Order: sequence, then C-alpha cells, then structure tokens
Amino acid sequence: MKISRLMFAGLASLCIAAPALAAETTETAPIPQEGVGTETYPGIPSDTIEKLGGPAGIKIIVDDLFYYILDDNRINQLFISHGKVERQKALNTELVQLVLGGHKQYEGASMSAAHGDLGITLTQFNAVVEDAYLAFEKARVPYSVANQIIAGLAPFERDIVTR
Amino acid sequence: MNRRTKNKRAIGRQLSVLAALFAVSGAASAGIYNDGKVLATGGVSMTDGAGGGGITPWATITGYETRDGINGDIHYTYVHLPSYDLNSGGVAVGLWDRVELSYTNDSLPTGSTYDTVGLATTTVNTALGGLGVSALDTGIEPFNTTVRMNVFGAKVRVFGEAIYDSDNLIPQVAVGAFYKVNSNKALLKTLGADKSKDFEIYASVTKIFFPISTLINLTGRYTSANQTGLVGFGGPDGNHRTFRFEGSIAYLLNKGTAIGAEYAMHKNNLDGALNLKVAGLNLDTTNNPVLAGALSTLTGPTLSQKESDWRDAFIAFFPSKNLSITMAYAMLGNIVLTPHQDGYYISLQASF
Ligand code: HEM
Repeated sequence: MKISRLMFAGLASLCIAAPALAAETTETAPIPQEGVGTETYPGIPSDTIEKLGGPAGIKIIVDDLFYYILDDNRINQLFISHGKVERQKALNTELVQLVLGGHKQYEGASMSAAHGDLGITLTQFNAVVEDAYLAFEKARVPYSVANQIIAGLAPFERDIVTR
Repeated sequence: MNRRTKNKRAIGRQLSVLAALFAVSGAASAGIYNDGKVLATGGVSMTDGAGGGGITPWATITGYETRDGINGDIHYTYVHLPSYDLNSGGVAVGLWDRVELSYTNDSLPTGSTYDTVGLATTTVNTALGGLGVSALDTGIEPFNTTVRMNVFGAKVRVFGEAIYDSDNLIPQVAVGAFYKVNSNKALLKTLGADKSKDFEIYASVTKIFFPISTLINLTGRYTSANQTGLVGFGGPDGNHRTFRFEGSIAYLLNKGTAIGAEYAMHKNNLDGALNLKVAGLNLDTTNNPVLAGALSTLTGPTLSQKESDWRDAFIAFFPSKNLSITMAYAMLGNIVLTPHQDGYYISLQASF
C-alpha cells in the first residue's frame, strides 16, 4: 500500500518534471577544460589514459578508427568528400585525451561548429561508434576501458547529430 | 472445438500478424527501414512481448531502428519450471525509436498438477451428479489443461536519452500499456480470479552508465495481474490495480554479451481458496471443509495460492543485429498450487 502510493507520487512528479528535464537534454556539450575531462556519472577513472597506452596508444586507436571509418560504406563518403582525414585524426587524438581528463590542448573547432552543417543522423553517429569498438578490439583495449572513452565523447552526440 | 484446431487457429493468427509485418517491412525497404542502433542496445523481448529484459519492460524501444526509421522482431521464449512450461511467441515493431507495438501469445501447459485437480473435480462431479446437482465447470480438464493468453502492447518513449547522455542523470522515460486476454475463463473462476482480461499500464526509466558498463531499469506497473495474467486479474475481493515495482540491472561484459538480474513484485490476490461454483452456489473451499478436504486428500496438502515475486538472473548474447539469445535462471516461487517454481528460461529474438 505504502510502496504503491510512494511510486505513484514518484511517477506523478516525474511527469510534471518531464518538460523541464527534456529541455535540459538538448543542452550543448562544450569541449571540456584541460585536466578536468567530461563529467560523467560515475566519473571516468584517472588512470584511463594510462590504460590506453598513453598518448601514443590513443593515437594508434584513433588511426585505427579512421581506418575502419574509411572502410565503412555507410559513412565513408562523407569523410572522403571533406578531405580532412589527417587533420581529424590529429584533433581527435587531442580530444580523446582531453575528455579523459588529460592535460592536452585541443586546437580544433567546437563539435557543433565542426558538424552543425553536415546534417549527420543518429544512424551515422552509431556507425562511428561501432567502428570505434572495432578499433578498440584491434588495439586489445578491454571493453570496460573502451567504455570510458565512449562515456567521455557520448555527450557530443547532442551537438553532432542534427537530423 | 478440440485442442488441435485451437492450436492451429492460434498459429494461424500469429502467422497472419507476421505476414502483415513482413508486408510493412517490405514497403519500408524503400527507405524507412533502419537498423542503426548499436549492437545490443535494442534490448531483448520480455515475456509480455515488449522490449526490455526478460520479465520487465524497459524504456528502450524494441528493434534496431534509430529515430531515422522502423525495425522489428519476432521472439520466442520457453520457460521450463518443475510443474509448468511457458511458451511465449510474438512479434513487435519499433517505429522511429519512439513507438513500440507488440503482440505475444502465451501458452502454458500446466502438466500433472492440474491433471490431479482435474481428476479430483471429475470425481467430485460424479459424486455431485449422484446427488442431482449440476456439474462443476472448473475449466480444468482431467489431462493437459493449457492456459492461453494474448497480450497486446504499446509503448511510447516520452523523453530522455538512455545511452549517450553520460554527463547527466536524466534517464530515458517511456510509458506503455498491455491489454491481456486470457482465454481460460472457467479455470480462472475456479482459481478465484476476478477477471480474465484486463489492461496494465507502466512507466519505465532506463539509463546506461558507460563508465561502469552498466544498465539500470526501474519500472512501475499499475496492474492487478496474478502471475502476469496467466492466472487472471484480481481475486475474490475484486479487481484492484496497484502500482508494483520492477527493476533490472545489466552489466555489459563486451559489446555482444550482457549479464544481469531482474525483480518483479507480484501481489497476493488469490491467497485463499479455490472457488468452485455450482449452479450459483459458491462452494468456496474455505467455507466448505468437506470439499476442501476432498480436494486436498486428492491433491496433497499444498492447496495454497500464495503468489511470490519473480526474480531471474540472465545472460544475453547478441551474435549479430539479427539475433539475440537470452538464457536465465528464473525464480518464480509459488505458482497457484505448486511451490518452488524455479527453472530455466531461454529466449530467442530475431530482428529484421
Ligand atoms: C563523438 C563523435 C565525434 C567526434 C568526437 C568528432 C570529432 C571531430 C573533430 C575533432 C573534427 C575536426 C574539427 C576541426 O576541423 O576543427 C571533426 C570533423 C569532422 N567530423 Fe567528426 N566527430 C564525431 C562524429 C562524427 C560523425 C558521426 C561524423 C559523420 C558520420 C563526423 C564527420 C566529420 C566530418 C566530415 C568532419 C570534417 C568537417 C570539415 O572539416 O569540413 N564526425 N570531427
């Protein structure tokens, strides 16, 4: 009896809070500060960069990611047509370190500035995520560590996917 | 109508739903078709047919579609318990990762327990017949009583992003409903249920916590079901729906394997006696020690219908976006007349 009343109160307040919360989920995800990283729930462990083999290991993973992206017929045309793959590799190597809390300068554009005009779909975004898992596997990154990177980059989905 | 034609009709119904779905998917191949979700993030199919875990609906929409299109699945679940076997088969579609529609047919051959009750009531009937009283219709045949239930489901994702919003605690939220039609009216009367068909509504919140590779789902279901409706709805006191809590936790071992556990609160609507109604006379076994005695000598001392909460521990494999295999140990406790109904659960889901 008590539990069900409590649950009802919970559900009712959830419904009232829904519009406010819904608005919040469309917030943009800024590039995190140096040494802070993306604030996730729970947080990203401080030894993640180390577990990935440091900046050199991250560079290898990002290179592999672009190898899989350029092999992936679902999305490769877009990357090829923009012709900036080498720049993207370098910037993504910086960005991954940054979201994991590393002390690394990121010298590229914000995610909304870089992707806002590309009309990227969630389907295309997920394709990149699937390619990322392939790159993690190739570099023998344990799945649980791979998910730290995914956690750090995931909020950018709100800025990158515009359709 | 004999059992075989009944079976054929049920299968026929399922096939026609399937045909309709394939027609939809055929029409959709023009561009609406989509399988863009990341592997495993479509979840599996629960015994009521909705996308979720095994016994609890999640806020995720079934199928591998993103907001860019539609997808669907067919599913079959087999639960083997000491006294029962549940077969659950159906179809579901996910539309733009926003709306989910599902249909499932549950069939539960009850095995030897009900055979005993069936024989007992046949014996009682014969005795009553001798006294000139019209026969009891308990809905329990001497052998092979099968409970059948059709479950129609709909779910709408309200707001929230279960997967990518790792920087806030806002979950994905969905509301849904089931309409369940149990076709064994007479049996449900015997067992004391108030109704043989009813609706349930629920709200689910689901969130993936990427840094710990863990998914958590919480569901509140407003229902009066006894054993999800397989034993009808409500009890001798009427059909009183209440909110019941359900929860799932899943840990992702790798991108294609999840392990976890689930809990679903059940209610005790039927704790009491079997209701045997004869010609308008309510031969409730609590008020009728003779009948209760007659039944219990024939069935043993466990004529209790105390219902237990359901629990399970599972492992789910996602070898591709077209197939998932879930295996679980289901701990369902007391079911109708039989205690300790713990057994295994296997569920297959094919997405197209
Ligand atoms: C979390 C996921 C993603 C991250 C972290 C990311 C990161 C980046 C970065 C750092 C740049 C370079 C910005 C600059 O030049 O200053 C970039 C550019 C680009 N990204 Fe992404 N990206 C992501 C997802 C995607 C997806 C899903 C697509 C398309 C399927 C995509 C397509 C592109 C393209 C085509 C460019 C080059 C744009 C141009 O310079 O004209 N990105 N991205």
